[in-house]
Amino acid sequence: MSLAPGDHLRRSFLYRELAALDALFDEVNGHAAAMTCGGDTAQEIARARSLGLCDLSALRRVGYKGWNTAAWLAAQGASMGAESNRAYAQADGTRIARLAPGEALLLGTLHGGGALIDQLGAAWSMAHADGCFQVPREDVSCWLSVSGEHAAAMFAKLCGVDLRPAKFPLHAIAQTSVARLNAIVIRRDVGETLAYDLLTDIASAVYLWRALLDAMAEFDGAPVGLAAIRGLAGPQPSEG
Amino acid sequence: MKIINCPLNGPRNAQEFVHGGEVVAHPDPHRCSDAEWADFVFMEENRAGVVREWWCHVATAYWFIAERDTVKDEFLRTYDPSELFRDRVEFTRPDPPPDPDPPLDPDPPLDPDPPLDKEA
Repeated sequence: MSLAPGDHLRRSFLYRELAALDALFDEVNGHAAAMTCGGDTAQEIARARSLGLCDLSALRRVGYKGWNTAAWLAAQGASMGAESNRAYAQADGTRIARLAPGEALLLGTLHGGGALIDQLGAAWSMAHADGCFQVPREDVSCWLSVSGEHAAAMFAKLCGVDLRPAKFPLHAIAQTSVARLNAIVIRRDVGETLAYDLLTDIASAVYLWRALLDAMAEFDGAPVGLAAIRGLAGPQPSEG
Repeated sequence: MKIINCPLNGPRNAQEFVHGGEVVAHPDPHRCSDAEWADFVFMEENRAGVVREWWCHVATAYWFIAERDTVKDEFLRTYDPSELFRDRVEFTRPDPPPDPDPPLDPDPPLDPDPPLDKEA
């Protein structure tokens, strides 16, 4: 049975777009997350392998910024390499995207988990922040997933950076302009399927959603639900 | 499309960047003259030739320094500001020297309960 996103749950900034697709919603982290977007999950998994757009707004994310960020994260047990513009996988499935020498973005799992995010949130306080400041992301950054074999060709219409898999390796990050919005693009690949995380300003989410769907139409791309992206990943422990 | 090489993000389209003016030495705002401060705030040298400028990669809000030939309109080199600026700049006002001749008659305090104007 589908939840109504207007009922006491936190809503995605895209819920009206999703509801118009006859999406079925379920609760993830207190959000009404669209699990399917009008099709059944098997159809949407096939679509996600070709070209699919998914709203990941229900998933956990947070940022830390400041000159001492890398040292503070290391002291909390989060491991991050020295290279900027690269994502680093953690033991609990969280990924740390190093956006600059002094800025990190943490992305939770497709199943809503974020043990490391919770742990860091409990350890951090403004009073003891010495050169490491928390950057709220869940109510600030729109998080979408673009997946499938045509994803790079679609991005070429909207973005000046070459995101083809041969040029843009797994875990690479491009902070650039996508459809004229400042955006963070992270290659993450789910299972065997090429996939990109796309994070932009939340206030422009509806514009970006429609702009992406317009660009995807040429490749028969369409929205998919969170269940389809989870389906690409396979069983929970091996998700991408 | 002109390409600018961002020290953090690599080559990007020029439309992702904004120009931030010449790199000039920051005078001490508490000790310099008004003319020196006005020169720092408002005046540009606008040299024809190789200049050192601030540029910002807007998508990351990352400021860096570029050496650019304004005659050929070519970027020669871009680098992180830490190459030039190694010390933190403090903007706190230094303690003023004690006033040798303080005013003897400060303004009297306002009457907390003035009489009402019956005519009003």
